[in-house]
Amino acid sequence: MTLEIKDLTGGYGQVAVLKKESFKVEDGQVVGLIGLNGAGKSTTIKHIIGLLTPRGGQILIDGMSLNQDVENYRKKIAYVPEMPILYPELTLKEHIDLTIMAYDLDHDKTWENATRLLKTFRLDNKLDWFPQNFSKGMKQKVMIVCAFMTDARLFIIDEPFTGLDPLAVNDLLNLVEEKKQAGCSVLMSTHILATVQDHADKFILLNHGQVRADGTLDELKAKFNMQDANLDDIYIKMSHEDL
Amino acid sequence: MSELWKERLKRHQLNQFKYLRLIFNDTFVLAFIVLLGALGFWYSNLLDTIHSQLWFGKLLVVAILFLTAQAGKLATMMEDPDSTFLLVREKQFFKYFKAAENYSRFLPIVLIAVITFLLSPFAVQGAGMNVWDVVFLGISTILIKMILLDVQLVGLYGKNQLFGVNLPLLMNLVYLILVLAASYTFTWLAPILLLVLWVWFNSKVKGFADAGHLQWQKAITDENQRMFRVKRFYNLFTDVPGISSKIKRRKWLDFAVNGIKLKHDNTYLYLFARGVIRNNEYIGLVLRLTILQVILLCLIDNFYISLIVEMLFIYLVGFQLKPYFKEVMQNLMQRLYPVAAKSKIAAFTKISNTMLLIQWFVSIFAVLYKFGLSANSGIIIVAGLVVIGFLNYLYMPHQLRKFLDNGEY
Repeated sequence: MTLEIKDLTGGYGQVAVLKKESFKVEDGQVVGLIGLNGAGKSTTIKHIIGLLTPRGGQILIDGMSLNQDVENYRKKIAYVPEMPILYPELTLKEHIDLTIMAYDLDHDKTWENATRLLKTFRLDNKLDWFPQNFSKGMKQKVMIVCAFMTDARLFIIDEPFTGLDPLAVNDLLNLVEEKKQAGCSVLMSTHILATVQDHADKFILLNHGQVRADGTLDELKAKFNMQDANLDDIYIKMSHEDL
Repeated sequence: MSELWKERLKRHQLNQFKYLRLIFNDTFVLAFIVLLGALGFWYSNLLDTIHSQLWFGKLLVVAILFLTAQAGKLATMMEDPDSTFLLVREKQFFKYFKAAENYSRFLPIVLIAVITFLLSPFAVQGAGMNVWDVVFLGISTILIKMILLDVQLVGLYGKNQLFGVNLPLLMNLVYLILVLAASYTFTWLAPILLLVLWVWFNSKVKGFADAGHLQWQKAITDENQRMFRVKRFYNLFTDVPGISSKIKRRKWLDFAVNGIKLKHDNTYLYLFARGVIRNNEYIGLVLRLTILQVILLCLIDNFYISLIVEMLFIYLVGFQLKPYFKEVMQNLMQRLYPVAAKSKIAAFTKISNTMLLIQWFVSIFAVLYKFGLSANSGIIIVAGLVVIGFLNYLYMPHQLRKFLDNGEY
């Protein structure tokens, strides 16, 4: 699965948040999307999943755009939003059933998958509860389960680590690794740089709606001329550039 | 602080005005006026049948006035962020509440005046009172309302009891005893004694407030609930944004939705069906209006009015199920589903059809009870079906389509 973003310009209403943004996520790659608040991370994600319509440029998944085939485009993506979004009137079990129906997945096989994930996140004894009443972290886990049990090829995770307990963070990273081994791609936006530094193959540094730099950690070090730096140092240097 | 109050009041009134305009714009208000007329007609007919004083006449008058006095709460316009941002201004809040209380008196007093006026012919004819008695009772009711608002105000400062008795209960009991006793002896005594009580209690309010602490959480929850009730009322007539509803599991109703097969085409049917039976808002709406409809149909003798009632109530329920569609469409995750908009609308139509057919089926019994197996019954029953057809096959699909197209859903 490859995601290709070419000269993407867009945003909310008349304000262009993204200005000619371009980057690529290759097959089996885990990519960290990094930037300050308001740099355009969530806006980029909303464009990819099709909640916002680009004003210019292209977004292609395996060479296919949203307009060419809405349903197949959507089937390729699984999304975990920054703030959990649940149906107040459905139980945890029903959220899983609904997702299976919506994405037309194989019922038994997916449930097998889901059960394993629910066990991992210690939710398997809460199937008849309303997730709407869960804590932030537990809601986030429900969103993760519903995303990772699908057959999606591109996983888009918006700031996944806040609110999760350390054990769950670890479990999530294992899941990401598992998907990567299976040839899926993962695009992850986050502020927790130390974590993403160890688990992503590539980083995209966003600033003011543009890609300031991208590449592996080594490539970034070279670009910023900081040989002993970690991702934190590079990030701070980038943030100071426009001061 | 009084600046803050004025600003909030202005915003609140603008909001209310917006909703009121929406309500009075709707065509069905015409039908509502017809309904009011029918009730007025029924009342006047009822009065004609009363020729002598009824033994329960006075009790009924007092009971109605007592219930009227319970309507209308202290409108504080408190907002959630207040407990964070205005915490330091606690001491100044008393002035704000006083202004709120002044404002909150207006509507209940008007309501009491109107109800007293409407009651007066019955009170004279059925309860053996004279016009002055009725006026005295009305004034007493206004006074107890003022006292109850004071009680609510001190309640915000944690003062719930007086002499070890629950304050609202105590005041209501005093009112009931005074008014009942007075109405069988000298009615003018009630307003005088209640005036004394009000003057005394009102002078105590500041002291009670100073002695306690402002109960922020309670004040804000109370106000939110009050606003929720107001909005729910408006929601009966028009769409009110931001009205969030309570969800209950209602496992015993699962049988109704378990029949829906787990397959791709049923995605939205699965979702809507569960929502409608678990969301208090919508199941409550269907229940309330169906019961009211059945009662009206059983009471009204007039064919034309029954016809209007049947059609109006089915229309009302159908019209008010629409916000549920919008509520679900606002969920971002469902917008990502690989499901076409067409099948979302089709699923909603199915749900709406089911609910309205149940309502229609129940109403048939009331119609048959009143009009028997007659042509009139037939016309009313068929008219109900016509409204369902109009709603679900002409009006709704068009409206929902427009909603989906406009909102990038």
